[in-house]
Amino acid sequence: MSRRAPTQFPFGPLTADAGASADPVLVEIVQGSLASVEMEVETAIARTSRSPMIRDAHDFRAGIHDRLLRKLTGRSYSALVHPVARDFPIDGMREGDVFFHNDVYRSEGGIGHLPDLCVTVPVFSAANGEHRVVAFVQAFGHHDDIGGAVPGSMPSHATSVFEEGLMVPPIRLWDAGVPNKAALSIMTRNSRMPESLAADLDAECSACLMGARRLGELFDRYGVETVESCFDAIIDRTTTTYRREILAKIPVGSWVWEDYAEHDGVDEPMLHTQRITLTRTAADDPDGERLILDFDGTGPQAKGPINHCGDYSDGVFLKKWLAPILRNLADTPERMAELDVNEGVVPLIEMRFPEPGTLLTPVFPAPTNARTFVILRLLGVLAGVVAKAVDGRMPADQETIRYTGVYGEDLDGRSYLMREVLGGGSGGRYYADGEDTIHVVPDSRNLPTEFTEARFPFRVESLGLAMDSGGAGEYRGGLGYEKHIRMLKDAHFMSIADRSILACWGVRGGLAGQPFQVTIDPGGPAEREVDALADDEPVAAGEVIRIRTTGGGGWGDPLVRDPSLVVRDVVWRKVSPDAALTAYGVVLTGSLDDDSLGYDADATAAERAGRPAASEAFFDRGPGYARLADGEPHAAVDVLG
Amino acid sequence: MTRRIRIGIDTGGTFTDVVAFDEGSGELVTTKTPSTPRNPADGFMAGIDKVLGLLGLPEGDGDAISAVSHGTTVATNQLLEGKVDALGYITTEGYEAMLEIARQSVPDGYGNSYFWVKPPRIVPRDLVKGVGGRLDFTGAEVRPFDEDGARAVARWFKAQGITTLGVCFLHAYANPAHEERMRAVLAEVHPDAVVSLSSEVLREYREYERAMTTLVDAAVKPRLSAYVTNIKGRLAAYAGDRRVPFYVMKSNGGVLSADEVVHQPITTVLSGPAAGALGAALIAQVAGFDRVLTSDGGGTSTDVSVVIDGVPTLTTEGSVGAYPSKIPMIDVVTVGAGGGSIAWLSPEGTLKVGPQSAGADPGPLCYAKGGTEVTITDAHVVLGRIPPHLLGGEIPLDVDAARAGVETLAGKLGLGPEACATGVLEISAWNQANALRQVTVKRGLDVRDFTLTTFGGSGSLLLCRLMDILAIPTVLVPPNPGNVSAFGLLTVDVKNDYVQTHVSLAERLDAGVVSAAYDVLTRQAADALAVEGFAPEQHVFQRTADLRYFGQAFEVRVPVPEGDLDDAALEAAADAFHAEHRVLYGYDFSGDASQQVEWVNLRVSGIGPITRPEIRASEGLVTGAGAPSSTSGGEARPVCFDAGVGYVETPVVQRDSLAPGASVPGPVIVEEFGSTVPIHPGFEVRVDEYLNLIVTRSEG
Repeated sequence: MSRRAPTQFPFGPLTADAGASADPVLVEIVQGSLASVEMEVETAIARTSRSPMIRDAHDFRAGIHDRLLRKLTGRSYSALVHPVARDFPIDGMREGDVFFHNDVYRSEGGIGHLPDLCVTVPVFSAANGEHRVVAFVQAFGHHDDIGGAVPGSMPSHATSVFEEGLMVPPIRLWDAGVPNKAALSIMTRNSRMPESLAADLDAECSACLMGARRLGELFDRYGVETVESCFDAIIDRTTTTYRREILAKIPVGSWVWEDYAEHDGVDEPMLHTQRITLTRTAADDPDGERLILDFDGTGPQAKGPINHCGDYSDGVFLKKWLAPILRNLADTPERMAELDVNEGVVPLIEMRFPEPGTLLTPVFPAPTNARTFVILRLLGVLAGVVAKAVDGRMPADQETIRYTGVYGEDLDGRSYLMREVLGGGSGGRYYADGEDTIHVVPDSRNLPTEFTEARFPFRVESLGLAMDSGGAGEYRGGLGYEKHIRMLKDAHFMSIADRSILACWGVRGGLAGQPFQVTIDPGGPAEREVDALADDEPVAAGEVIRIRTTGGGGWGDPLVRDPSLVVRDVVWRKVSPDAALTAYGVVLTGSLDDDSLGYDADATAAERAGRPAASEAFFDRGPGYARLADGEPHAAVDVLG
Repeated sequence: MTRRIRIGIDTGGTFTDVVAFDEGSGELVTTKTPSTPRNPADGFMAGIDKVLGLLGLPEGDGDAISAVSHGTTVATNQLLEGKVDALGYITTEGYEAMLEIARQSVPDGYGNSYFWVKPPRIVPRDLVKGVGGRLDFTGAEVRPFDEDGARAVARWFKAQGITTLGVCFLHAYANPAHEERMRAVLAEVHPDAVVSLSSEVLREYREYERAMTTLVDAAVKPRLSAYVTNIKGRLAAYAGDRRVPFYVMKSNGGVLSADEVVHQPITTVLSGPAAGALGAALIAQVAGFDRVLTSDGGGTSTDVSVVIDGVPTLTTEGSVGAYPSKIPMIDVVTVGAGGGSIAWLSPEGTLKVGPQSAGADPGPLCYAKGGTEVTITDAHVVLGRIPPHLLGGEIPLDVDAARAGVETLAGKLGLGPEACATGVLEISAWNQANALRQVTVKRGLDVRDFTLTTFGGSGSLLLCRLMDILAIPTVLVPPNPGNVSAFGLLTVDVKNDYVQTHVSLAERLDAGVVSAAYDVLTRQAADALAVEGFAPEQHVFQRTADLRYFGQAFEVRVPVPEGDLDDAALEAAADAFHAEHRVLYGYDFSGDASQQVEWVNLRVSGIGPITRPEIRASEGLVTGAGAPSSTSGGEARPVCFDAGVGYVETPVVQRDSLAPGASVPGPVIVEEFGSTVPIHPGFEVRVDEYLNLIVTRSEG
């Protein structure tokens, strides 16, 4: 059990038979309406919010929860209603109330860093005669600035949450339809972008209130008991489906694996360990058939801002955050995409946390703004530990979030900041290569050259794929970006990125991809590499900044990859002719220049047969691992058995 | 004197709908013929023959045809079926991986990036070639065009036998010179190549979207050209070797002559739904409704759109299948809810309806053509909501097969057959209702403020449920609801859109430069209208601009006044921008000096007006309500509206027996050729002076 469970939250079904007798037609109507309301709320927020991180990068989510605080919608992650219910008794809520919080340490683990502004609105229905709370509509979005030490509120060298911006514990921001102007003015006063902060808040509040009205109509139409019976059915069916299609794929047993963040912005690069011991219990286990995720062995709390507050409310946020990875066990990619992640996954996962003071159990006021280094990595740790249990039938690793940018004064002397999130390649899968240059946040978009060149004093000389960045494998990892930006005026470069030493791992014989790398003036007289955690690297006018983002890990032995696919990859400039031989053992014939490229089947077979046996390790982390692990080629947990 | 007949002809997947308008007498006739997918021109000519016959003209007599407007899905279907091959792409050196990178977006849910498999790119990486030369965002040359490289690329594509090419160079929207040089080189080295230039297809910034739009244009060009040329030839032969003005519907709500449309084939993509929305918009506006939602239900899907004051809302964020298109198109949202939509059980045990469809072949169970799954049509026929035959009795339906299928499905769900069938329809109604909510929410509108216009073969079947679910007060069903799209084709003006990206902060904008840019665009539009045969005094130009606040990545379109522009006119456009921004997004920065307005795109639409068929009010309006005589002692059948109540004997009224002014309380089934309108208990239907059915809730 979690060390931190200050409040016992209710759990269990709303109706006596857990929705078993729900009308099957109404279940579909209710589920469709929940999805529609969720989309309407998100559409309204996208329409009216102001921060580029919300509008353009789509870093915001809506969610609908029942009065037992269970998440009903299934397309995306959301924050938690628990902190609101903890501090404000549900019986005392009134129609038109809007609750707000962004305080990481008071969020029960639902909010990871302060720029995520979370709004919660209770849904009321007068059905059955009494006017009471029947559900919650919630949204959070990544605002551009909530104060703190640096513009953007993500100081990479912070050592305390007090440097990261304004903390607001759960408060009643609107009281029965009346906004609390004092609270709003305190919040806007603490932001470097007060107007857009106010607009973002307004967008979230209005959208959630609209969603709450819409949802209330559903209760009014069908009655509370009927709708709640459908809620139970929706959640119960998810549990049943995951038991049948996901849990059934994992044998009973126990496995351990770990991965690492490589730096925290304060200490020198080192292995910041994140470890999961996965136990899959038997169907007749006295405490139920489930997955136990034990994080014991996770490294100590970092001095810098890469910590994540995971150990609240039995890890209920992390359960829903990590469960989407389990969808990779479904039978086909199409089926994986169909599986919802709602509260129905929670009974199937138990989490066990180490004592306070680790990366996942940080002690206030440890900084957390770059907690993506932990929660994104944990997706991969879970994928890896499950891979050990299922003979590798999980995707190899991906890393798709990092911030890079330039700032200074433009040609007219006006100050500017260009900050973007460049994705990376996804890992190879047992059924497909990884995909190039994608982003984990759905619908997030990169910046067109024709937009940035018109706005900022640089020229994007090329925007392409980093050749050979995808890890070799029977199924190759996807490629990262290779972007060349030529500054037209002196400027500063900034970067917040992990995976610049350690690479995205390959699995089951697949090799690691290439890590993130930034070089200024490549091939020129002032060529230099830039640290992945950089606040203000100077770049002179005329110099090129070359950014290569991470390639995904490979899946399976590259020596069994179909040689004609390797030839195709060379033609497509995804694999170099050298790597075709060294990584894949393919002996090429002909030439790229006259379209005669092919391969010699006999020579390729001989070349492949002459290669030494593969490493005993089930995972490949790339050469960066040895650098941080005293020369060890792989970790002890990387070996099966 | 020769009659002058204008014909609208809309080729759909199953049927070709035809409407003919006698410009002299004002007579309007409609008909349908089966579509002929193998050679759509056959169905097209058969439809012309049939409709002229209905007007009393001898078969094969094309002399009377004054013009034909055509809606086609040739380009759309090619894209939806992914039949894009042997297409090459030429771009700026250093950007050859543009299509692989796209916008880095993974669709749908969180976590999908781990298992998502990208669909194939429209051009595989090996058929993409870069050419040197670089412009900046003002169009100024940074590096000269690499003529030698261009020749090498042209030779390479020729050697590969790739004859369809799209060209998109960076910042070509600001200066087409390099793209035009590329075309000249191709004309010289590889003269067989069909080429689309991005600076001609879409003169708008954002390279990936412009490239995709250009490539889609190139991809559909060969097939659409062949199709249009074929029909043009057959029409001319039919009309006694006379050149018949032949127009093709565009997705922007205009038409264009066949001669011109082959040069901009992408503008025909999604033209079918556009015609339906326009036809419905005109009908509803004449009937006195200015805020209208249109819902066009067919065999596989339902298309919904928003029309305000007779003008459908446009979008440049559309897509066809997997391919985005930035060409202006009427904003139509498609729901997988049509007559053929299949009811099925998900692995979770949930009852789902659509988006998979049995289509017309094998079709629903009741078509008895080998269908094996319960569809929406089967549910309707089991409940008695539609007659046991199609198209006025031409095709009988196998009700027993439908009932057996529904009973089997009901058994799996533990429901009675009526509860199962009404449940299938209820789910479908909610799917449509949710789509209608989303098209309105997207624009900050409230669905309850709208009148719904339903048409298409299946569009009106659930209208009472939609009224209830959405709290919509009124629904209008036009006459001949199966032919609204074809009718819409007769109401459409000739229209061409021109755009020029011109990025500048408002404070630095030179009114003279903007005026000159508009003059160039207007001249282009006028030249095109002249080619279409419009005299200068007929030309209508609509000028708009896309503006944004500095720092935003998306623009808002506002009208720009006619004539020479001065600073006051620019200021007026900026004011219109503030106001529209508030409407769309709920806030604006009018009067806030710290927030600067930026101009992005200048647009001109050139419009050549045509004579629209006049929708005439009926004379002899019947005054006084009450059921017409035809229901008393007329036809009736048992119909189930509510599974809890069961079947009730319900009058069946032929629509053409209802005179203007007549009013009938529900329950009643109103039938006509190709369409049925079930009116549930608690609703009533009346006929207005234009022969529209107007459905409202019963008083009291």
